Amino acid sequence: MSTTGSVDGGTAGAAVTRLALRQVRRGALGMSGLAAGTTAIVVAGYEATAGTALDAAALAALAENPAVRTLFGEPFALDTPGGFTVWRTGTVLAVLLSVWGVLATARITRGEEESGRWDLLLAGRLAVPAVLGRHLAVLCVAVVSAGAATGVVLVAAGTPPAGAVRYSGGLALVALFAVSTALLSAQVMPTRAGASGLALAVLGVGLLARMVGDGVAALGWLRWLSPYGLLALTRPYHEDRLLPLLVLAGAAVVPGAAALVLARRRDVRAGLVAAPTGRQPRRWLLGTVEEFAVRRMLRPLAGWSAGIGAYFLLIGLLASSMTRFLSDNPRFAELAGQAGFTELGSVRGYTSSLFVLLAVPVGIFVVVRLAEFVAAETDGRLTSLYAQPVSRSRLLTAETLATLAGVAALLTVAAMATWLGTYLVNAPLPLPAALAGTWNVLPVVLLCLGAGLLALGWLPRATAAVGASPAVGGFLLQVLADSADLPGWVSVISPFTHLAAVPAESPGWTASLVMVGIAVVAAALGRFGHRRRDLLG
Amino acid sequence: MHPAIRTDHLTKRYGPLLALDDLDLTVTAGEVFGFLGPNGAGKSTTIRLLLGLARPTAGQAWIFGTPAADVATAHQRIAYVPADVTLWPQLTGAEILELLGATGPGVDVAYRDELVARFALDLSKPGRAYSTGNRQKVALVAAFATRAPLLVLDEPTAGLDPLMEREFRRAVVEASDAGSTVFLSSHQLAEVEAVCDRVGILRAGRLVDVATITELRRLHRTEVLVRFAGPAPELTGVEGIDGVQVDGAALRFALTGPPGPALRALAAADVTTLTMREPTLEEIFLDYYGESGR
Repeated sequence: MSTTGSVDGGTAGAAVTRLALRQVRRGALGMSGLAAGTTAIVVAGYEATAGTALDAAALAALAENPAVRTLFGEPFALDTPGGFTVWRTGTVLAVLLSVWGVLATARITRGEEESGRWDLLLAGRLAVPAVLGRHLAVLCVAVVSAGAATGVVLVAAGTPPAGAVRYSGGLALVALFAVSTALLSAQVMPTRAGASGLALAVLGVGLLARMVGDGVAALGWLRWLSPYGLLALTRPYHEDRLLPLLVLAGAAVVPGAAALVLARRRDVRAGLVAAPTGRQPRRWLLGTVEEFAVRRMLRPLAGWSAGIGAYFLLIGLLASSMTRFLSDNPRFAELAGQAGFTELGSVRGYTSSLFVLLAVPVGIFVVVRLAEFVAAETDGRLTSLYAQPVSRSRLLTAETLATLAGVAALLTVAAMATWLGTYLVNAPLPLPAALAGTWNVLPVVLLCLGAGLLALGWLPRATAAVGASPAVGGFLLQVLADSADLPGWVSVISPFTHLAAVPAESPGWTASLVMVGIAVVAAALGRFGHRRRDLLG
Repeated sequence: MHPAIRTDHLTKRYGPLLALDDLDLTVTAGEVFGFLGPNGAGKSTTIRLLLGLARPTAGQAWIFGTPAADVATAHQRIAYVPADVTLWPQLTGAEILELLGATGPGVDVAYRDELVARFALDLSKPGRAYSTGNRQKVALVAAFATRAPLLVLDEPTAGLDPLMEREFRRAVVEASDAGSTVFLSSHQLAEVEAVCDRVGILRAGRLVDVATITELRRLHRTEVLVRFAGPAPELTGVEGIDGVQVDGAALRFALTGPPGPALRALAAADVTTLTMREPTLEEIFLDYYGESGR
């Protein structure tokens, strides 16, 4: 073909690359900034932390606590700025980057295809594998940049380049594994939710395997089966091993290659798993908007319950290895006590430090529900309900109440799973104590709900970002404030600072009431805005 | 008795864009009202304001005397079919009808079952598996089955095949016979012509005309073809006549307004046949919007 103005394959491909780039550039920049910024603050604050709060020996003893190991991984080279930074931020950054990788991949591949927007794209000259390949390349560049940014920060801070390269390479490879797994699950599952759910489940199992491997010595080999475990096994700044990185690289390449091969064998908009084409009606929970809000939540809630339940069952099961550690190391309790970690040694102290973490996933659950409500408004699914003789306030109340019921279920599941775990290993934590511990995070979750509703009313497209900030932003702030020498007001604005360590301590009622009060005011303002604004879509 | 729809200086701005400008419209109870206009004229904006989905910048709207913003009351009497129907992807057609029936203004189950059969709708499929036309059929069945006093239909037949379009027209006539008011926004002019009593014509956010279809025709040009024996009739300067073309023993012109003067002028000639063709709604529509569109 030689007509004037014809577009050659290269130009068409470049257009698709630009499309993929436009869809991820903001998130990719944010992730790079977050990875580099967190690393910079922790590495810069290292001297202050290691010098004042705890001496190196105390730090090492603290790091031997299975509870802390479960959270942050096996510690190495804590007496170096690089080793400390890797231990303190490595798991958090790896989880954040990989979860972002999964969500972004599912969104720009399966999500675009499911919505029908790719029909137009694929009617052009590029076939599915070519389009997928270009999206994959863009996503690879995005996560590798985030890893590289971390490495540059660590080298600039004067840590040994060999460790910085191992660590930042490992971070990038974990995220690449996530991207390529998500691309594969996007070929298998016909929906975006199914694709991201399957890939997130793989990551969740990987994280649990890493935690079990770190917490239970006999099961240390499990870490070879987990991307997070392989990252830890690299032991940056200590042994600087290469083999785990090579295994991780292989694990990252295989799903991506499989995805590109499988993409040839399916129809556009279809997955390898066929969506059911018909079934008998299931008429339960369709009678009122309140019932329907509950019905839409049940399936996601089951997934969240399974994940949170498995995590806290593991926390419970690890309680006995921790008490054994304590009887072997009487010096530890002393040191921890001096450092202000009262009762960290007891089962109550150990579980309460982990219960506080529950605010993050449950807060994200709340925000995901609200963001889904906004998405349903934007794409028109809710239009038929907004056209019913039902006020907007009632629809939003129904959604809020259903979400609160989901929160109650998740907090209770976490308590019961922890209780069961401790019961099985004979280090019992009474169920009321476990429930007090998990329900103690409710104010932070309510802050997420309030912030999310505020955004939903006035700036609906920012619901997810604003709603997640109390839990995710607050947690990151607290990690930073703990690890670096930040001014006092920084940690004061994090809700986690005001959360008592229940059941080790008694609940801080005043702080909780203040947080609930702020949440109620934000929610009321949000509801007011929602009632007055135009609906989207 | 309150009109089904009344708007008073209803205005909507989106930033600098004036989407709807000072709309005063009354649709009386029981009539089938066609709402015409090119893309972007403000039809969907008007409907969103009537349903309380968007808030007016100025002015007000009432549904059977209830302010449109009071949706819990106003929607007791409304059934709505949006232009672009999005269904919950995981609910089957039967489940969606169940949900909309249970939360809506009421449902005539026997009539719903009859409509499902007439629209040949497979209710066992999940929402994501429906084509555009089938999604629209689900929404239409749900709306008609409410037997609501006011049906607001926004381009409801855009994805339907001709057989289904015929079923749609039947359902509109049935609703109208049962006393319902129908507010039909459409591009299918033949459909509007077939079912509507009155039409409103919207252009760039302003209502330019509201009239019955008969009135519209009278206001517009009728095409007249005259065959004659002998000398051609003299039509120059006759009131209402325009664009005269002589082709041998035939003569063609456009007539606007009352035909009296033209007929008197023709009476002088030896006319053998006289054919008058009324303009289609499409021609009227094009007259309003011309080549430039809006």
